[in-house]
Formats: sequence, C-alpha cells, structure tokens
Amino acid sequence: MKPQLTLQTPLELPHQEISNYLNQLWISEDEDNSGANTFTLMVWQPAWLEQCLVQSGLIRGPITGTLSPEIIRVAKKLIIDQGLSHTTSLNSEELLNLLKENLSNNDYEDLRGQFFESSISTLNPRRLITLAPTLNNKSEIKTFVSAYCPLSDSTVTQPICGDLVVIRGDSNSINKKGLKIIDKLSIKDLPTWLWWNGNLDESQEIFNYFTNYGVRLIIDTANGSPKRCLKILDDSIRLKKAINDLNWLRLKSWRESLAMIFDPPSRRPILDHVSDIDIDIAEGNFLQALFLISWISDKLEWLFSKIDIHGELIKIEFKRNNGEKISSAINLVPLGNPSIHSGQVIGLRLISKISEVQKNNTCVILGCESVECMRLEAGGMADMQLIEQVVPNAFSSSESDVSKLLASSRGNTSPLFENTINVAVQIFNSMNK
Amino acid sequence: MPSSLSNPLRLGLRQERVISPQCLIIFGASGDLTHRKLIPALFELHLQRRIPSEFAVVGCARRPWTDQEFKERMKAKLGDQISGNEKEWEHFSNYLFYEPVDLQQNDHVVRLSKRLNEIDKLQATHGNKTFYLSVSPNFYGSGCKALKAAGLIDDPKKSRVVIEKPFGRDYSSAKKLNRIVQSCADESQIYRIDHYLGKETVQNILVMRFANTIFEPIWNRNYISSVQITSSETVGVEDRAGYYESSGALRDMLQNHLTQMLAVIAMEPPGKFEPEAIRNEKAKVLQASKLADEHEPWNSCVRGQYAKGGNNLKKLKGYRDEDGVNLNSTTETYIATKVFIDNWRWQGVPFYLRTGKRLPKRLGEIVLTFKDVPVHLFESTIINPAPNQLILRIQPNEGATFKFEVKSPGSGMKSRPVEMEFSYDESFGEPSDEGYVRLLADAMLSDPTLFTRSDEVEAAWKLYTPLIELMENAPWKLPIYKYESMTWGPPESDQLLSKDNIFWRRP
Repeated sequence: MKPQLTLQTPLELPHQEISNYLNQLWISEDEDNSGANTFTLMVWQPAWLEQCLVQSGLIRGPITGTLSPEIIRVAKKLIIDQGLSHTTSLNSEELLNLLKENLSNNDYEDLRGQFFESSISTLNPRRLITLAPTLNNKSEIKTFVSAYCPLSDSTVTQPICGDLVVIRGDSNSINKKGLKIIDKLSIKDLPTWLWWNGNLDESQEIFNYFTNYGVRLIIDTANGSPKRCLKILDDSIRLKKAINDLNWLRLKSWRESLAMIFDPPSRRPILDHVSDIDIDIAEGNFLQALFLISWISDKLEWLFSKIDIHGELIKIEFKRNNGEKISSAINLVPLGNPSIHSGQVIGLRLISKISEVQKNNTCVILGCESVECMRLEAGGMADMQLIEQVVPNAFSSSESDVSKLLASSRGNTSPLFENTINVAVQIFNSMNK
Repeated sequence: MPSSLSNPLRLGLRQERVISPQCLIIFGASGDLTHRKLIPALFELHLQRRIPSEFAVVGCARRPWTDQEFKERMKAKLGDQISGNEKEWEHFSNYLFYEPVDLQQNDHVVRLSKRLNEIDKLQATHGNKTFYLSVSPNFYGSGCKALKAAGLIDDPKKSRVVIEKPFGRDYSSAKKLNRIVQSCADESQIYRIDHYLGKETVQNILVMRFANTIFEPIWNRNYISSVQITSSETVGVEDRAGYYESSGALRDMLQNHLTQMLAVIAMEPPGKFEPEAIRNEKAKVLQASKLADEHEPWNSCVRGQYAKGGNNLKKLKGYRDEDGVNLNSTTETYIATKVFIDNWRWQGVPFYLRTGKRLPKRLGEIVLTFKDVPVHLFESTIINPAPNQLILRIQPNEGATFKFEVKSPGSGMKSRPVEMEFSYDESFGEPSDEGYVRLLADAMLSDPTLFTRSDEVEAAWKLYTPLIELMENAPWKLPIYKYESMTWGPPESDQLLSKDNIFWRRP
C-alpha cells in the first residue's frame, strides 16, 4: 500500500470555510515556513474499478485510489471467470457494468486523496486537490482538508509542508458545486497541474472546465476512445496549452531502444533505406502504436501517403523525399491476458533494404520482454543481419509516471510529442474520411 | 533525408536539465579562462537550449570595458567557434554585460551590487546568482570576503561561489582558505571546480563500476595487482611560465586532477547517487591514501624537468630556456609517485600516478592490471602470458580496452593477448561536452556532485605534504631529473616501478 500522506484524519469542513481555513493554516511566525513554493496538483480520481470491487465485496476497503496488485489480481480473475474476452482492459466499461450489477449498499471508508506514492509527495506539491466522484449518484458534496509534511531523508533543516483538499460527491454535484470550490483554491503565481486519472470519454463537462481553466494537463490516452483522445491533444496544441500523456511516456523505452541501435555512426545509413515497419500491439486502443510510427516518420522526414484498414490490421504508407515507399503495419495481437493499459506496443520490426544484395539488408527487431517476439521473427528474415534488442516493459505505476512528468516538465508540451501528434492527427483524420 | 552524420532518432530524446533563471558573474573576465573555456561553454549550453531566457553573464575585471566592448572582444576571441551559428551568437550576446570591478575596492563592490540588482530586474533572473572566481588564487579569500561584506552571498539558496584550482598551495594554506571561505558562505554554496571531473569519461568510471555486476567483485586487492594513472601533455609551459614557476606539476596536476581520478577509481560504492554520499566516499578514500614510503618519501616520487629535444624540422626548447622561466629553475614539469590506500579493498595495491609536459602523447588513462593466473597451463606466443588489463581512456579516443588471453590459431595450445574495445565515437558517434559545459551547468543547477568538498581538498594536500616539505626544505633529496622533450619522462621514473617488477604502460 502507498504511504499515507497525512498523519491526522483530514478535517471535514463546509466548503465555504475551506479557503479561510487554509489561509489560517499558513499564518506563522516563521516566515520561512509558509508552505512549499512549488505547484498545485489536482487529481480527477474516480477509481471506479476499486469502488466497484469494494462495494461488491470482492476486496476489502478502504478505497484509497491505488491500483494495487490485489485489485489487478482480482479484476483479472473476474474477467476470466465471467467469460469476458481475455484481452479486456481493467478499465473497460464492460467490466465495470458487470460489477455494477451486484453492488451492495454498505458504507465503506473512502480515503481517496490521502494516499500518494512518495515519488509524488517528495516533490512537495504545495496543494493537492483530489476530486473523488462516487458511484452513488445521490452523494452531496463533502470537503476535507489537512496539512501534510512529507518526510525526507535528506538533511533539510525543516520539512517543507503543503496542504491537501478532497472534494467528494457524485459527478453531477462535483460539476455543479465542486468546480466552484476549486476556483477559490487556486494559488496565485504557482503552476497548476491536472492529472485526469480516468477515462477521457467520461465527465467531459468537468474535463472541459479544466482545459479552459489553463491548467497543465496530464492524461492517459490508453484510457479513452482514439477520436476523443486525439481531439483533446490536437486542441491543446492548437491552443498552445501544455499537455502530457502517460501513454506517450510509456513509449519512452521503445524510442530510446530504437535510437540506441542507430547511435553507432556505421549503422546510420540503414535508416535511409527502411522499407517496412511492423508494430504489434496488445489488442485494444491503437493510439500508442500510432504515436510510435508517427514519431519515426517525423524524425526520418517521411511524408504520410495513405492508410488502409483490413480487419485487425492497419496499414499505413509513407514516402521519402526521393519518392521511395515505406510500408508500415499495426497488428492487433491477442495476448490471452487482461491488460492494465490498453493497446501497449509489444513488438517492432524494422526492415531496411540497402541493396538487392541481401547480405547488406538489415532487420531490426525490438520485442517486449514479457511477451517475447517470436511472431515478429518469422517471415523469412532469418538470413538478414538481425539486430535484436529486448525492451524491458516493466509495469510502473501511473503515479510514478506522473511524478517523472512533474519533476521534468517545463510546463509546455514536449516538442517531440507535439510533432508526433501532428502526424498522428493527419493519419487518423485520413482514416475517417 | 536524414544524414548519416547524426542519429535522427536521437534528436530530442536526451532530456537535459534546464538551468533556472540565473545571473553568472565572472571575476577575471579579461583573463584567458573566460574566453577559452567559460564563454564557449556557456555558448554551447545556449546552443543546446539549456539556458533560460531569464539569464545574464556579467563579466568583471579591472579593465574599463563597456558591455559592448566585452561582447565584441568575446566574439573576436571565440572566432571559429561561432561560425555557422552567427544568429545564435547575436541572441546569446544579449545576455552579456560588463562591469569594471576591483574586488579589493569596497566602492567597486558596492557599485557592482547595484548593477547586479539592475540586471536582475532587466533579465528577470529572480535573484539567483553564481559568482565565478577566475582570479589569481591569492584573491580567493579576499574575494569571498568582499562578496560577503556586500551581502551578495547571504542567501544560501540563491547564491553560489565557484572557485578555480589551485585551492591552496599546501595542506595548511588550503585549510586556512577553507576556513575563510566557509566563514563567508555555507559549504553548500561553495563549488571548487576540477574540470577533470566534468569529463564524460571520468563520470563513466562511476557508471562502469556501479552499474555493472562484473567489475565490482574483482575491483579489489584480491584481483588487481596495480593501478597506473597517467595524464600527459605534449605542450610545454607556453605562456604560463609566471604561474607554472610557482606551481609545478605537483600543484598543477597531481594534487587535483590525478588525485581526483584516484578517488573515483578507488572509492567505495556510495549508498545512493547523491552529492554528499559520493563526496563522502571520495573523501574517505583520500583520507586513507598515503605515499608508499612515508618515512622516506623520496623513495615514492620522481621529479623531472624537460630538456631540449625535437628534430631538425622542429627544435624544442628546454624548460629553463622558455620565456619567463628562471635559468636555474627547480620547478618540476614531470612527476611520478607511488601511493598506497590503507583500507580493506586496496591494502598492498600500488597506485602509480604520473603527469608531465612535453611527453610524446597527449592523453589521460587509467590502467588496472590484474593478478597473474595461479598456474600457467598454456605456453604463450610471447615470452610470458600478459596479465589482464582494463584500460580506461579519459582522452583522447575516449573509451575502454580490456586485454585478455585467447588461444592462438593453430594446432598447438598457445595463448596470446587480444583486446576488446569500447569507443565512445564508435558507439555514440557524438562528441561529448567539454568538462566546463557540464560543470558550469551543474553549479548553476546547485548540483555539487562533481565538485570537490573541503575535506577532499585537504585530504589531497595532506597526501602530498611529505613531498612538498621535502621540495621546500631538502630539495636535494627529491632531485629534478632532466628528460629529453618528447620522451616518457626521466629514466628514474621507470625505476620507481621496476623495483616492483612493473613497467609503465607505453600508450
């Protein structure tokens, strides 16, 4: 379990009193101890799966907003036991709907907003605001507030403290009342981040409120329909609003491994002669693969030509400046295992034909450690020079990914991601024509 | 089309840390270091997009230059380094300012303080200041006092002081200087620079040792028989005779650069990759280091001075014939020393350190020689099987070589040595940054990992105190041996090793 941030139970206060209470909290004789001078982090924390599992008695509470190993294990077993497709995502509506059929009316302890991984708390957010929508559609707004001082093992003279606010209620009341409370909680001069830790298709009014609010967004496009996700990304770039995507962040090891192969100058000519790229993804959302192929094409200055969809195979064609054609394919591969993040890349094959003399040709295969890459190795490429790299794709928690973004981002969209989105949107729009 | 010169897939992937709004104040801005190293390093950081738009460089020296003159002089001095990036230079030069300052004059420092306030507002640098003392070492203490008196380094979170080498002339002067500097600023604000630690290859020693499982188990007295650390230059004293006459190879190179390499190669693994954890381990290993023969230190060291040399096409002067050098100078241009480290890991393993001018090659390398195999089962194609060696090349041709024995082809079972190579150029294809690029950025980012702490500096001076005392009080016991220019030092330095049946590696 993640460490509890607050040592005392947060105080429940009427929402009208929160601002005043927080202001009082930081009035101190010690000028240096007026709270961390860092940032505000708002988290949309529905934790629907956890709420459903607790309320249906499949796991014990309290609800913390953590995707714990127990939740993953129970949900995966449920998917298989209930005869759902083995590739059903843990965030799928199908699974949630199934769970909602058997909810009890028992009260359960809800501690969302009080538990954060130390990777986030050690960044000393000045204010942590958690929006905790409830399954119960008739929950009035409740607000809780507390101060926290993350313990650090460095030798600082005194801890740097922050405060946290939890706004709990059903989605409707959060939309009507909760957002007004947030208005009053903004801290002038400090940047504000919103981590939308839920499906991007849900509660769109609330999400849109934040996009207009001018916060820096952190989303996960593995969790939402490609159309909606790409629209959010495209809008943010056009309006020059900072946006970060955990689905893109999870591609980092693929991008790094592929770049690493071509670091030695002797291998770089291979890139001028790439003819085919195949990407395998775990069945589901294909956005991550689209990002990967868009990034490669942007870096190698290929121009998008056309896209064809044949069942579960997406074929995308590019052209080099000299007119040479590059064929790429995104293959949806069933893994027989429920996925945590939908549509993750599991393998990549890049073929470069330098000449008709086969010994000069190259086949690069990157395979995800957990699923091997036997499928990609097939196809008559065994006689080509083969450079094989295995990409560790260890599951890191979303909170750990978010903390990396918070620690490294300069408050703007990464130019690399921005260029990738432009290509991805162009390809996607062409697909829907 | 992507060029084969750069890796297009690498572009934008390297996440470099960005410096926060900052004003860098360089004292001694009219000196060589500013235009040879500091401004080029800052311009490189600018080209790498690592400098924020809220930035300023304020050059300070006694000369009565204006901002414009400073900009023009820097542009002229950088010359070729700007070509192709003229627009970027125009942009960068907007960060350059100049203020005539004599740090010994109170009114000058007060005027500087006012000017810095103006520049802080103009460039929105949020009060963050890094002071770089590129002045004569005699002024380090008084310079810090002047900054303290003007209140310029009162805020430990927003101000830093970078101090160039040499930090002191010996153990007692270093200790005294530390006391003065620490009375003016917190230790966390003081950055004693040693540009060798900014080299990618020196930092790579830490990664090689502590990111791999295969090296650390054998990185000790059970497997390593000796370690050689070499830093050689082909150039002579050039136009630095004034400085060099009073320093010599021991103070100029051995006490700092070579000893820092010794610390990095011999330190224990730190608990975490954090500045204090690393510096604790470096300090500990330096404190455990001693000359091989402390009672008769002349047995642990050989000093040399280059004599004339060269050939008919290019004749080279001897050190005493160089401009600005005393005709009877006893300054060493070469020094070789033997050191032991009194701890569990290194007990009994000799560390040989050598550095010199006018040697045949410009290079920096560390050679770890492993112990011989217990039994020689195979006959060698050469006289004896060569012991395994790991050679870490600091410069040039940065990389590493591992020498080991294999079967020589043929019907017999003879062994012969071969080499396994890692080259930065071949693997990464991109030149690594100059040490100053890394270190200037680190100082402005308040990251002291690659800077030497007061106890490290003191321990390094203490190690060589017996030699310094000999050089000052009984120089005849540590004579200067002549060596011909462009040879590997005096023959006596070979004897330092041959007593142990070891030889210097001829790179």
